[in-house]
Amino acid sequence: MVKFYRHQLSNGLQILVYPDYSTPMVALDVCYHVGAKNENPNRTGFAHLFEHLMFGGTKRIPDYDEALQHAGGENNAYTTNDLTNYYLTVPKENLETGFWLEADRMLELDFSEEKLNIQKNVVIEEFKQRNLNQPYGDVWELLRSLAYEVHPYRWQTIGKEISHIADASLDEVKAFFYRYYAPDNAALILSGNVDEDLCVKLAEKWFGSIPNRQVNKAPIPQEPKQTALREMTVERDVPDTALYLAFHMPGRQERGYYVCDLISDVLSNGNSSRMYQRLIKEQKLFVELDAYVSGDHDPGLFIVSGKLAGGVTIDQARKAIWEELRRIQEEPVTAIELEKVKNKLEANVVYSQMNYLHMAQELAGFENIDRAERINEQMLIYRSITSSDLMTRAGQLFRETNCSQLNYMAKQ
Amino acid sequence: MIKQEIQPPIYTPGKPDILTPEAHQLTNGIPLRIMNAGTQEVTRLDFLFDAGTWYENKHLQAVMTNAMLQEGSQNYSGAQLAEIMDFRGAYIQFLADHHLGGISLIALNKHLPYLLPVVEDLIKNPLFEQAELDTLITRRKQRFLLENKKVKVLCQKRFSTALFGDSHPYAQRVKADDFNTIKREDLVEFYQRCYRSNHCRILATGKTDEKLPVMLEQHFGAADWAGEALLIRDRKLQPNSEKEYHVSQKDAIQSAIRIGRPLVQKDHPDYIGLQILNTILGGYFSSRLMANIREEKGYTYGIGSSIMNLKNAGYWVIATETANEYVDATVREVFLELKKLREEEVSEAELKRVRQYLLGEFIRDFDGPFAQAQSFRAVDDFGLDQQFYDAYYQTLLTITPADLLDLANRYLNEEDFYTVVAGA
Repeated sequence: MVKFYRHQLSNGLQILVYPDYSTPMVALDVCYHVGAKNENPNRTGFAHLFEHLMFGGTKRIPDYDEALQHAGGENNAYTTNDLTNYYLTVPKENLETGFWLEADRMLELDFSEEKLNIQKNVVIEEFKQRNLNQPYGDVWELLRSLAYEVHPYRWQTIGKEISHIADASLDEVKAFFYRYYAPDNAALILSGNVDEDLCVKLAEKWFGSIPNRQVNKAPIPQEPKQTALREMTVERDVPDTALYLAFHMPGRQERGYYVCDLISDVLSNGNSSRMYQRLIKEQKLFVELDAYVSGDHDPGLFIVSGKLAGGVTIDQARKAIWEELRRIQEEPVTAIELEKVKNKLEANVVYSQMNYLHMAQELAGFENIDRAERINEQMLIYRSITSSDLMTRAGQLFRETNCSQLNYMAKQ
Repeated sequence: MIKQEIQPPIYTPGKPDILTPEAHQLTNGIPLRIMNAGTQEVTRLDFLFDAGTWYENKHLQAVMTNAMLQEGSQNYSGAQLAEIMDFRGAYIQFLADHHLGGISLIALNKHLPYLLPVVEDLIKNPLFEQAELDTLITRRKQRFLLENKKVKVLCQKRFSTALFGDSHPYAQRVKADDFNTIKREDLVEFYQRCYRSNHCRILATGKTDEKLPVMLEQHFGAADWAGEALLIRDRKLQPNSEKEYHVSQKDAIQSAIRIGRPLVQKDHPDYIGLQILNTILGGYFSSRLMANIREEKGYTYGIGSSIMNLKNAGYWVIATETANEYVDATVREVFLELKKLREEEVSEAELKRVRQYLLGEFIRDFDGPFAQAQSFRAVDDFGLDQQFYDAYYQTLLTITPADLLDLANRYLNEEDFYTVVAGA
């Protein structure tokens, strides 16, 4: 059981406090409920570009990093399709500096053309480093655009193309800030060596006067049900041919999500899993093979990805994977297999509680889905899942009409 | 809005609590250290052998021997081993580096009695079955070929041979063909020489109790798995005299850059000051290199510098990836930053900022049982003890801009630096 406390300020800011007195540090995490899925399709990559601009300073604190470093602090941020999360850690003595810094940049930023141009350049280099200059770097882009026709998950957080980043204007940047960066669209999470009462007092002092901005988000277009197999083949200069199968699956608010997560564990979590033992070790068809859920908050993807062993054709590989996917629909998962994946989940929960920063980020993620209390509810859901749940769900999931297949061929 | 104007006071954090693990010894002489810390019922066990590349007679011996330990032993097939680990929610990791071959287990305490017999068997009675080895070699070779498409990997490899010489074990010399010539008997020979009780030490970390040393004695304390003493190998560093290299990778959109030099080691009196100087240059987010080359010029997503420690050598390296058209400008700016550190004293304000930052980092380095254990190894593996951290703390509080200028003039001279670029 993860014990944390919740408060709300009158401007709408949610405050979550998770004390862990085994560390001398505190983490302060601000999660803004805006991600790549809220972007205009002609300005993809904007939420992530904006994350960079949040470090550009304000009129009162021109250098965020310098101010934090004086307090012995460290910080970073990440953007996903669903959220933008900023976090810092400081020795507990300097907790208030964290409040000061985060409240200040929630209130107002000091925008300029010059800062924008530099960060555009940095992000464009990041785009190249991650997507263009890595073997298999464009797989996600291809897979998303194949699997989604309507939902904004069809693009990655880094953006669809470089021109979207290059063309972003200062006015758009300002509008984005006032539209989404507001106390009524954010959660503040404190974890580590913190006291609930002090945190609430400090939150009121520093964040309490930031105006509610009446955030009103446009509804996200939902993906229509897929009705036929989609297949795409590309050729690239990579060492191994790879095969990707993506299936639409339920979102994080549905029980079905957790069932899918367990299915992926049975198939490929750990060296004793079915796919590893049968397709890598016994049949030697793959050198790597994984099944995993994308973890997106709206309905996301269940993905099977494999790199083929030398001499194996796409067709052989595809058949072997489908054989495993059929088996899990037709034969019940054994009690031992189910206990194994649940034991592993239980152990992972204990391991993750050893890290206060990780706990803050977990709480932020669940709060973005809809409520942080899910962190405890999820364990109950996992424990309640039966072998027949897995079979039923696998039957709904692994249909050819629900599948997007990407053949990523190694150039000879 | 007035409140936002008033900055809260900043407190200088104190020195962290630095734990020293209890020293024990198994009957056969294996040193056992126990770091009893933490609040969760979790233990990490590191079994460390003198079984790194340093002791190889042939490329890949160390890493393949280490990896094959998980592929089957007398009482457990590789599949069974994996099954037991997964069933208990435990993680087992196998890692070989320049000097050590290690097996690390992380598990809930309640599962240890079921896991230790398995770990004992895989360490003492591995089978090195040919079929398993063939599969492993195929997979590792494919991974190797993939890695060798990346400019940063090509760059680091060339950098390491330039610094250490083509035949030194610290140089990354593995070639694709080595995967074809490594044989089962090479692994058996290496195993029998290196994975012996007299080349082993154990570090236990977590919320441990008195049962742990008893269990470890029972499984690892016997006298029947000792071996010969290892040959002391004196391998000479042979740095290349040529200082500039280009590795060509066609179609690369970005180039990887490494700029660096050989350096003194952890036991040298200048070492701690150099760490502080490195932080200013490129060791944290607001470093000179980041401020200039990312935040001011926008040439790169990231640039950093680090001081690396190996047991018998150290080096300083600046690393980045940048668009091909920015390579020359980036290299030029790096050397300008070195020059600035040689010619101008660091301001008191910048030094204070770095000092405060490093004091925060110092606390993080000892935050939690695993961090404590890692910091212990960061001195113990180098034959130092925790007095190193007292000296570190003192130096951090007392170092002056004049000290840093002096260090820069002795260690940041352009002619000592190697420059390697890999890209189109």
